[in-house]
Amino acid sequence: MSDNSQIRPVIFDPKLRLNRSDVIAKVRDLSPNLASVDDQVSPIVGSKAEALKQLGRLNPATYGRTRNHLDGAVTGLSPFVRHGVISTADIRDQALGLNTPKEAEKFIQQLAWREYWQKLYRENPNYIWNDVEPYKTGFDAEHYADDLPEDISQAKTGVACIDQFIAELLTTGYIHNHARLYVAAYVCHWRRVKWQAGARFFLMHLLDGDPASNNLSWQWVASTFSHKPYFFNLENVEKFSGDSVDTRFKTNKTLAGSYEDIYARLFPNLEPKT
Amino acid sequence: MSVNDGIIWVHEDAISLDHPVVAAAGPGAQPIFIWDSHNHDALGYSLKRRVFIFECALDLDIPIYAGTPKSILREVANGRAIYAAPSPDPYIAHVLIDLQKDHEVVPVDARPFARIASDVDTRRFFRFWNQAKKTAMLSTQELEASQNTSRDDA
Repeated sequence: MSDNSQIRPVIFDPKLRLNRSDVIAKVRDLSPNLASVDDQVSPIVGSKAEALKQLGRLNPATYGRTRNHLDGAVTGLSPFVRHGVISTADIRDQALGLNTPKEAEKFIQQLAWREYWQKLYRENPNYIWNDVEPYKTGFDAEHYADDLPEDISQAKTGVACIDQFIAELLTTGYIHNHARLYVAAYVCHWRRVKWQAGARFFLMHLLDGDPASNNLSWQWVASTFSHKPYFFNLENVEKFSGDSVDTRFKTNKTLAGSYEDIYARLFPNLEPKT
Repeated sequence: MSVNDGIIWVHEDAISLDHPVVAAAGPGAQPIFIWDSHNHDALGYSLKRRVFIFECALDLDIPIYAGTPKSILREVANGRAIYAAPSPDPYIAHVLIDLQKDHEVVPVDARPFARIASDVDTRRFFRFWNQAKKTAMLSTQELEASQNTSRDDA
């Protein structure tokens, strides 16, 4: 540190070991404008040791087979990758050490998504908060609400599985990628809210929230960065959920129906889906 | 550490001392982290995001300052070189551009995941992946060796 420096670090005590409640108190102290209502702390602890622990559990072949299932294999590495605690190159090397390239390919392809989003971000920073292309939903951007309704941000929509996913996000700062797609589609298409409002909400809470992968994925769901809107039905949630997700008809009625029916309901200005 | 050694800005996109920027800056360089709560406020970050980031920074046993990166980096560097991982985040990129007015700023890239031509078609992921996979499926060691071979060939 420079001897001329007039400022002093707020923490400069090598090997200082704070317990978690001290860390939380320190963060609150250093964040005077943080709303006091927000009091959730993730069970995921930020440290290199935690990242390496997750890396040690990596099973790329299983990941490739089960990754779309909400109770399937996930790496738990994304918050650490987001903040550069560990790199995609480190993870790729570990994957290639564990499996043959053929077995690991699907997993490494998923890692490549991050590289792809980052490249887009570097080259097109304007993509992050602006529609890359028009909506392909039969509606224009002005037909979508600017703000996220409170029932969504508070996990009180009345749609059981959606509320469950949002509650998990609020509590842990992490939800499975497939659950992210369900929530995003619900926000954009069932509630007709601009993707930007949902993307901002996710970035507030996701420990791995990255402007590029988060916002461009929201645009993919919304159809402003894809050929068509992404949507789903209750049957699809059932298929990919474990027993812990409430997928009963009576608590998720708005999601129930065939793809054709839901398409007609969500996108009445488009040609019927056949 | 000498007065000529640089400082390393460990920012929120690269909270690591394993990043190549640390080796590039040399053993005397001082890494620092800056806690900018105004930026977190602007992004609406929840307590859990802030705690996670703070824990990652705390884990490195490096000085953590609170305030605005531009002014803190200027004051701590005091004319010395500033090393940092480049980032597409305009918040980080603008700080580094501004510091270039009066400091030597040395950006150092992360270890490469793949070798990708700058003109690769990025309109859809699979066009990108079709090109990236040739080198993304190599280990970092193999990738670096193939990079050196292509340099030697050039």
